[in-house]
Amino acid sequence: MVDFYVTAMRTQVQTQFQYRAATYMYLVGMVAEPVIYLVVWTTIAKQNGGQVQGITVGQFAAYYIVWTLVRNMNIVFTPYGWEWRIREGQFSAALLRPLHPIHYDIAEFAGGKLIWVVLYLPIAAALTLVFDPDLSVTPLEVVVFFVAIWGAYLIRTMLLWLLGMVTFWTTRGSAIFETYIMAELLLSGRLVPLKLMPEWTQSVADFLPFQWAFYFPIQTLVGDLPAAELIGGLGMQVLWIAVGSFLVWVCFRASVSRYTAVGN
Amino acid sequence: MRPVRVAWTFLRLGAINELQYRANFFVAAFQSLLAVAVALVVLRLVYSHTAELNGWSEPELMCVLGIQILLGGVIRAAIQPNMERLVDEVRDGKLDHALTKPEDAQLLVSVREFRIWRTVDVISGGAVLGVGVARLEASVGAGEALSFAGLLLVGGVLIYCFWLVLATGAFWIVHMWFLAELFEGVYATGRWPVGIYPGWLRYSLTWLVPIGFAITVPAEAVTSRLEWTTPVIALGFAAALFVATRWFWRFGLRRYSGASA
Amino acid sequence: MAVVDIAELTKVFRVPEREAGLRASMRALFRRRHRDVRAVDSISFAIDSGEVVGFLGPNGAGKTTTLKMLSGLLYPTAGEARVLGFVPARRERDFLRQITLVMGNRNQLQWDLPALDSFDLNRAIYRVARDDFRRLRDELVELLDVGDLVRKPVRNLSLGERMKVEIVGSLVHRPQVLFLDEPTIGLDVTMQKRIRGFIAEYNRRYEATVLLTSHYMADVEALCRRVIVIHHGRTLFDGQLAQLGSQFAGYKTIEVALANGAADLSRYGDVLERDADRVKLRVEKADASRVTALLLSEQEVIDLTIEDPPIEDVIELVFAGAAE
Repeated sequence: MVDFYVTAMRTQVQTQFQYRAATYMYLVGMVAEPVIYLVVWTTIAKQNGGQVQGITVGQFAAYYIVWTLVRNMNIVFTPYGWEWRIREGQFSAALLRPLHPIHYDIAEFAGGKLIWVVLYLPIAAALTLVFDPDLSVTPLEVVVFFVAIWGAYLIRTMLLWLLGMVTFWTTRGSAIFETYIMAELLLSGRLVPLKLMPEWTQSVADFLPFQWAFYFPIQTLVGDLPAAELIGGLGMQVLWIAVGSFLVWVCFRASVSRYTAVGN
Repeated sequence: MRPVRVAWTFLRLGAINELQYRANFFVAAFQSLLAVAVALVVLRLVYSHTAELNGWSEPELMCVLGIQILLGGVIRAAIQPNMERLVDEVRDGKLDHALTKPEDAQLLVSVREFRIWRTVDVISGGAVLGVGVARLEASVGAGEALSFAGLLLVGGVLIYCFWLVLATGAFWIVHMWFLAELFEGVYATGRWPVGIYPGWLRYSLTWLVPIGFAITVPAEAVTSRLEWTTPVIALGFAAALFVATRWFWRFGLRRYSGASA
Repeated sequence: MAVVDIAELTKVFRVPEREAGLRASMRALFRRRHRDVRAVDSISFAIDSGEVVGFLGPNGAGKTTTLKMLSGLLYPTAGEARVLGFVPARRERDFLRQITLVMGNRNQLQWDLPALDSFDLNRAIYRVARDDFRRLRDELVELLDVGDLVRKPVRNLSLGERMKVEIVGSLVHRPQVLFLDEPTIGLDVTMQKRIRGFIAEYNRRYEATVLLTSHYMADVEALCRRVIVIHHGRTLFDGQLAQLGSQFAGYKTIEVALANGAADLSRYGDVLERDADRVKLRVEKADASRVTALLLSEQEVIDLTIEDPPIEDVIELVFAGAAE
């Protein structure tokens, strides 16, 4: 299995390297989102005496720049892509292999991430120059961050796989995908640091996995979390990965049964 | 008025095609309402922390939002599908079908596709705009309404030109799969008045990617903060860009036909 | 023990029925009508290790559906299927490691990378020991003569070249059972011959069992001693290819070259063709030897050939017969 992961990741690194120009354009588009949020909140902060609920302009900059690193890591196969992969026969091909298809996705995207992060670093440097973030980190925070971004990657892989499998059951999956994206936007720390959301929203978010794929990894570097919370957060990630894996396992069996009943 | 007639034909065809799928309408309506709801939630969140953003009040920002959604609907229904199809056909070498028709190629590739269900955004954006206008302090007169409509049209032309320039780039760079994502990302900046962005970014969003002219300027018309020079510049810019775009298109086309295998 | 063993295998699809027109579409929104299509209807056969069996049938006969059921992509509505002792629908790892399904026109290799990289990926997926893998890969590459192709990105290869490397890629794990669905479709004649030769050689060397569907009689004639003819989901014939003719086509063709130019031979049988000095006759099988003897004694014969009717014609007769 390790052999497979290493080989698949290496294959993807080679493939993604060929698409560096297109990847750069994609990354620029991706960066637009946090830059907008950053500008809006910075504007509010400046009008408010330099901070919003305790978060300064520099801290906003730090939050959103770290956001882009986390975002790079938690982009996974889109649920919209499932319809394509079924239609093109790729799903059948995957079923013929003695390997659960999710390993394929995990390994391929993980390999791609290696290239993406390398390509992304200049953009991160540019953003740092422009927006002057206020960030100080400890070695523990860096280590936890490094682990947490992979945790975020796996959580989102599970979640979006579950969404993608909806395609086996309905052709109107896009409505469900959109609902998910909107919920995630508001409850994960993607839009704003969760601290700025109303109290009741934060309580709801605590029961959901979204923040562990966005807010927590960002906070490991940006927030000044005590060691207990850092480790505890990793534990929560493990919990959600386990829950996600179980759900994927159950749903995949059901989906394959349904698929092999009607075929492609 | 041949171009109009050609466009109308395709519009009718596209509509008939999609009307078959009634479920698509409900899905599109649902998605549109969901997006509007979330956008309003974000707006509320922002204004729970401040009374005005860069001089714009909450109802005024609702107008900006409404225009952004409305124009977005037009883009996603009429402009984007055509440009994406153009890029795909250039990549697969299938553009020749369009080029051998006795109609101007640019016109054809610009009006072939029409996704009627995406026009629900026009309705929901219009609704948001309506609510915003209703809550404005200053009332909106006929003059403002007219200049708004005119500037919106100008904005649409600018966005069309921008998209066509991007799509024409496909003649050189074949792998343009990221275009839709790139545009979505940049278009989202239009949700906020272009003045809040720092210098270089504001400059880019006005002249490079004409979001500012397409959204903020019509919003200025509705919120009575329009200076008389702006419409003049907008019109001039649109005319110049249209001419430049057409030239660039024909340049790219010549290269495509010459290089075709 | 048979490698492939199926009994009363059946696959029924529920297909929604819809007429054209706006009103019909609206009605369809409220009341969905369905039709049951028996794609595969109670077929049974057993294939032993090392056999190369051809699956013949027109489009929609049920060939691909059967192959999909045997490889685990579809589960049967009724009946039993066992491949290498496994139930395919269970898709057990050990089962999947020993089979391969190759469909013409389907790309499973990495598009942007040389085929060699995809082979390596397959090695990792199927957990083949590196030495075994390298040896087999090199053998396959040599057999199909794709040595210079495997280093080029797959997207730069022509259709025929791509098919060849796809086949290599699908065999690097040394499957014992090969399901080949129209492997030579869309390829030129030279390429088809190449691939046919390769399959025969693979079968010989590795004693693999091959189940092959094809439209091209040449594929079947070159490779399969045994054919199974399928139509409307039912087997019409299962046996030696040579006997297909004798069972379904009760005639033979006699081609005669005469010394005295074209004579009127219509009293010997049906004249199919007449050419400067050659005549082709069709006679009932039972009469073949009698007519031949008559011809030889009554005419000045330079050359005489007795042939079975071409397989294509036989197949056509088989299907025509079954259509009633």
